[in-house]
Amino acid sequence: MTASLNTALEQPAKPVSRVALAFARLKKIPAAYVAFWVVCLICLMAILSAAGVPLSPYAFDQATDDLLVAPSMKHPMGTDELGRDLFARVIYGSRLSIAIGFVTAGVAFLLGTTYGAISGYCGGKIDTLLMRGVDIAYSLPDLLVMILIGVLVGKGTFGILFALGLVSWMGTARLVRAQLLQLKEEEFVEAAKAAGQDGFTIVMKHLLPNAMGPIIVALTFTVPSAILSESTLSFIGLGLSAPECSWGTLASDGWRSLRAHPHLLGFPSLFIFLTVLSFNALGDGLRDVLDPRTRLFKG
Amino acid sequence: MSQSRFLKAAATVVFTAATLISTTGCSSTVDGYEPDTFRINLQAEPPSLDWQTSTDSTSFDVVSNLMTGLTQYNNDMKCEPGCAEKWEVLDGGKHFVFHLRKNARWTDGKPVTAHDFEYAWKRLLNPATAASYAFFLYDIENAYEYNSGKIKDAELVGVKALDDWTFSVKLKRPAAYFLYLTAFCSTCPLRKDIIDKYGDRWTEPQNIVTNGPFKITLWKHEYKIELSANPHFFEGPPRLKKIKMFMIPEQATAFGLFENNQLDYIDNRSFPTADVERFRSSPLYRSLPLLRCSYIGFNVKKKPFDDKRVRQAFSMAIDRTLFPKILRRGERPAYTWIPPSLEGYSEESKSESDPQAARKLLAEAGYPEGKGFPLTKVLYPQREDAKLVVESVQEQIKKNLNVKLQLEVNEWKVYLDILHRDPPQMFRQTWGADYPDPETFMNVFTTRNGNNYTRWSNSEFDDLVDKASAEQNQKKRAAMYAKGDKLLCQDEVPIIPIYWATQNTMVKPWVKEIGFNAMDLQFFRKVYIEKPN
Amino acid sequence: MLALILKRLLTAVPVLLVVATLTFFLMRMVPGGPFDADKNLPPAIVANLNAKYQLDKPVAEQYVIYLTRLAKGDLGISYKYVNRTVLDILSEAMPVSLQLGSAALLLAVIIGVPLGTLAAVKRGTWLDVAAMFLSTAGISVPGFVTGAFLIFIFGIWLKILPVALWESPAHMILPALTLAFSPAAYLARLTRASVLEILEKDWVRTARSKGLSHWSTVMKHTLRNALVPVVTVLGPLTAILITGSFVVEYLYAIPGMGRFFVTAVTNRDYDLIMGTTLIFAALLIVTNAIVDVAYQILDPRMKVEG
Repeated sequence: MTASLNTALEQPAKPVSRVALAFARLKKIPAAYVAFWVVCLICLMAILSAAGVPLSPYAFDQATDDLLVAPSMKHPMGTDELGRDLFARVIYGSRLSIAIGFVTAGVAFLLGTTYGAISGYCGGKIDTLLMRGVDIAYSLPDLLVMILIGVLVGKGTFGILFALGLVSWMGTARLVRAQLLQLKEEEFVEAAKAAGQDGFTIVMKHLLPNAMGPIIVALTFTVPSAILSESTLSFIGLGLSAPECSWGTLASDGWRSLRAHPHLLGFPSLFIFLTVLSFNALGDGLRDVLDPRTRLFKG
Repeated sequence: MSQSRFLKAAATVVFTAATLISTTGCSSTVDGYEPDTFRINLQAEPPSLDWQTSTDSTSFDVVSNLMTGLTQYNNDMKCEPGCAEKWEVLDGGKHFVFHLRKNARWTDGKPVTAHDFEYAWKRLLNPATAASYAFFLYDIENAYEYNSGKIKDAELVGVKALDDWTFSVKLKRPAAYFLYLTAFCSTCPLRKDIIDKYGDRWTEPQNIVTNGPFKITLWKHEYKIELSANPHFFEGPPRLKKIKMFMIPEQATAFGLFENNQLDYIDNRSFPTADVERFRSSPLYRSLPLLRCSYIGFNVKKKPFDDKRVRQAFSMAIDRTLFPKILRRGERPAYTWIPPSLEGYSEESKSESDPQAARKLLAEAGYPEGKGFPLTKVLYPQREDAKLVVESVQEQIKKNLNVKLQLEVNEWKVYLDILHRDPPQMFRQTWGADYPDPETFMNVFTTRNGNNYTRWSNSEFDDLVDKASAEQNQKKRAAMYAKGDKLLCQDEVPIIPIYWATQNTMVKPWVKEIGFNAMDLQFFRKVYIEKPN
Repeated sequence: MLALILKRLLTAVPVLLVVATLTFFLMRMVPGGPFDADKNLPPAIVANLNAKYQLDKPVAEQYVIYLTRLAKGDLGISYKYVNRTVLDILSEAMPVSLQLGSAALLLAVIIGVPLGTLAAVKRGTWLDVAAMFLSTAGISVPGFVTGAFLIFIFGIWLKILPVALWESPAHMILPALTLAFSPAAYLARLTRASVLEILEKDWVRTARSKGLSHWSTVMKHTLRNALVPVVTVLGPLTAILITGSFVVEYLYAIPGMGRFFVTAVTNRDYDLIMGTTLIFAALLIVTNAIVDVAYQILDPRMKVEG
C-alpha cells in the first residue's frame, strides 16, 4: 500500500528529491519510522517465501510426528493437527495475506478515490447516479458474488485478489465523495477556479490532499478487513486449497482451539495485528509527511 | 479538558453495567439441574417438522421424540413393537401384516389406526408431496410407479388398511431390511383431518397432533423448541416433564453452557473437537461407534484410476491409523466398507496397508517411483475434518508413492454439484447408515445408485447386493455381503474406506437412563432427572 | 430537505429493481440447487420437488413470476424451511437484530467518537498511542475471536455474564460489545483523522493559541464539520448492524436475521436470498438518504441532489 500511495501522490510530476525529503521527514516521527521498517521486514519475508527461499528448516506442508505440540525450541510457534511447524506456515502464509493487503488497498485507493472524486466534484445528477451505483454494488450478496467468481474466474490467488478487490472500494468512494462535497465549497477552490485551473487539477492539487486523513484511515482499515475476509472466502470454498495457507485461514482454523491449543490462533493473529499496527502508524506518519500544512519542524 | 470527565463517564458506565448484571444477570448459571427438565442442544433450526418432507438429522431428533411408527428402535438398534404390537411376514418375505395395538393414542385422544398409516404412506409417495425420502418405500408394489407419475391411482400402491387395526404391506420383492424402515420417522402415521384442516401450517405447535412420548409446546424459530410429556402415550407418560431443545450452532458455546450447567447434555454434533482430549478422562464423557464411514472415492472412468492396480496401490499406500490421531474424535481406522458391528463384516475383506507392495503395483501399472503420473485432483468440501483428511492423504501418497496430488476445495453445494455431474479423479465423501443393516452401505456402490459417484459398475457386485437383500437366511446373507465387501475393498477398490466415526458425548450426572445408539438417533422416552446428592 | 427525501424514495424503486434483477440471475448462475443434498435423491423425486416449487420452468419465466409476486408484496417461500414464508422468517428475526444492532451502533458511536476526538486533541501523548493500539486490535481481530474471548472471560471464567442465548437484557451485553468493537475502532480512527484535519486549519490554530474559552467555542463549530466522514460511514454501518451479524448470532445463539445472509446462500434458498438482499438494499437506501440529509445539517454548504 505504501508504495502505491507514494507513487500516486508523487505522480504530479515531482522528482525523486521529494521522496528523499519525505523520507527525511518520516525519520523524525519515531513511531512511523519504526513502522516503516516493520512493514519492509514483513514484505521482505513475504517476497522471500514467495520466491521459495527456505526460511525455516521445516517446509510449510511437511508433517512430522509432533502433532499439536506447544511452542518449543524445536518448533518456536508449535505445530498444528498434522504436525506441521506453525512458524513455517505463518511465514508462508504471509505472502497471500500481504498481497491481499496491497492489492485491496491499491484498488480501494485508485478505484475508490477516482469514483468518489468524480461523484463528489461533479455533484448533481452524476453524483446521484454514481452513488446509487454504489448502493447497488453494496447491496448484492457478497457471498453469492464470491462463489460465482470462484466458479467463473477460478480459484487460487488471482480469484481471491479479484474478489476482495471488487468489494473493497465502495467505502472509500463514499468517503472521498463526502469529503469533496464538503471541501469544494471552501474559498480556496473558488480561488483556484478563478485562476483558471481545470477540474482535474483542482481535485488532484487542492481537494484530495486535504481529504487525505480520512482516506488513509479508510485504506488502513481495508487492509485487515481484507486479510480477514480471505478466511471467509475459504469458508465458502473460494479461498486457497489445502495445504496452502494464509494468516486468515490459519487464524480461522485455530480459533476453535482457543482453550486447548492457543498457539494455533495466537501467532497468526499476532502477525495480523503487528502488520495492521505498522500500517496504521505508517499511515499516520505519511499523512503528516505529505501534508504541506503540517508543521513538524518549528522554526 | 475532558480526561477526568471521561474517566468519570467510564466509571458510571461500568457501574451501571455492573448493577444491571447483578440484578438481571445469570441466576441460572449456578442452579445445576432443572427438575424434570432435560436441556439439550439441537444446534440448528429443524427445516421441517413434517416428518415426510424433512430429511435431516436435526428435524429427526425432534420428530423421534414426537412420533412412534409401526415399530421403534431400541438403543441396540433392534426394532421393538411400536404402534404395531405384532406383525407377520408372509409370502417368502414379500407380504407384511401389522397388527396395531388398540391403546395407541394421538395427543388429542383419538386412537391411532391403520388408516392413519395408509394415508401417511400414500401421502409420502404422492408426487405432489415431493417428499425426498419417498424412495424408502420404493420396495412396495407400484410405489415407484406412483411416485414418479407413471401411474396416477394411489389405490394400486401395495399398502392397505384391512380394518382399523390391521395394516397390510405388499412388496415387489423380499427386502430383508424392510422392517427397519417402519421405525424410521418418514414412515410414521399422519392424521388426514389435521392436514386437511390446517394445510401447510399443520406442523405449527398449536396445530400439530402427534402420537409419541412427547408433544411440542413451544417453537421459537431459530432459538428453542420445548417438548412436554404426552399423557396419552401408550407406554405411559415419560418421566421427563419437559425437554428444552436450544439451537446453538457453535460447539464451543454449547460446551460453555454445559460447563455452566445450562445444558445437561452435549451430543456428538455439539462436541468441540479441541475439547475431546481435555475431557476424555472425565466421568461425564461417553463414546460409542457410529454407523458412518468416510472414504476416498475414485472416478474409475478417469485416468489413471481406470487401472485397478493404481487404485489398489493408493489403498495400500494409506496408513489408516493416522486419521484418528489427526482428527482426535476417537475415530476407528476402516479397512472394510461394512462396519464391524453389522452382519457381513469379515476380516477376510480387509484391505491392508503395505507401502512396499503399493510401490510395486504402481510400477506394474506403468508409473515406477511415481514417474509420469498424470495430474490428479482431489475434491473435498469446505469442512475442517475433510481438509485434514485430504491433507494427510496427500502427504502419505507423496511420501509412499512419490505422487503429487492437487487438492481442490469447494463450497458445500458446489462440491455436491461437481460430484453429481462430473466427479473428479479422487474425492472425499462420507456415508451414514439409513438403517442398521449392511444393505444401506452396500447399495451405495451398485450401478443404479445415485450416490455412487465412482462410476464403478460391476455386475457381480450388483448381483450380490440384489440377492442378499432378498435372502431370508441370515448366514447366507452375511456371506454374500462379505464377498461384496471384499470386491469393494480388496479386488476392485473403487473406494478406500478410511475411518468410522465415533460419537463423543458428555452427560451431566443427574441425567439417568440416557441411551446411545450407533445411528446417533436421539430418543429420550426413558430419560429422567434425579436430584444429585 | 423534504424534497430530497421524497426524490430518494422515488429513485429507490429502480434501484431495488436493479438489485433484484442482478441478484436473481447471479444466484441462478451459481452451481448447486436447493435440493442438492449429501445423499443424492432419485431423479423422480428431484422432478417432484422442482415441480412443486416451479423450478422446472425456464429461468426467465421464473423471474417474471417472482417479480409479479413481489409487486403484490409476496416475498415468496423458503425451500429449506418447509412451509415457512420469507416474510414469516424475516419478520420474526428482524426485531432481534434491530435491538442488538442498535445497541451495538450506540456503543460504537459513544465509544468511538469521543475516543477519536480525545486522541486527536491529545495527539502524541500516551492516550493517543493507547487509543491507536486499542483500535488496531479492534480492526485486526476478527469478531469470532473477540467473541470467543469475551465468552471465555466473562461467561466461563468469571461467570458474571451469560455465555450465550437471548433471554434478558444481560444477555445482550457481550454480543453488543463483540459487534461494536470493530466499528468503534474504525470510528475512533476516522474521527481522529478528521478532527486533526480541522485542528490544522490556520484559523483554528489561531483560535487555539488565543485561549481556552475561545478555543472551546471554535471546537463546537469545527467538530460539526469534522463529523462528515463519521456520518458517511454511519450510513452503511447502520444498515449492516441492524440486519444482524452472522458471526455474533452464531457465537451467541441469537435468533437474528444476520445468519440468513449466509445460510440462505449456502442452502441456495432462492426466495430467502432475494428477501434478505432486498431488505438490506432498502435499508441502505434509507440510511444513505439520511446521511445526505445529515450532511446539510452538519455543513449547510454541502449540496446533495435527490
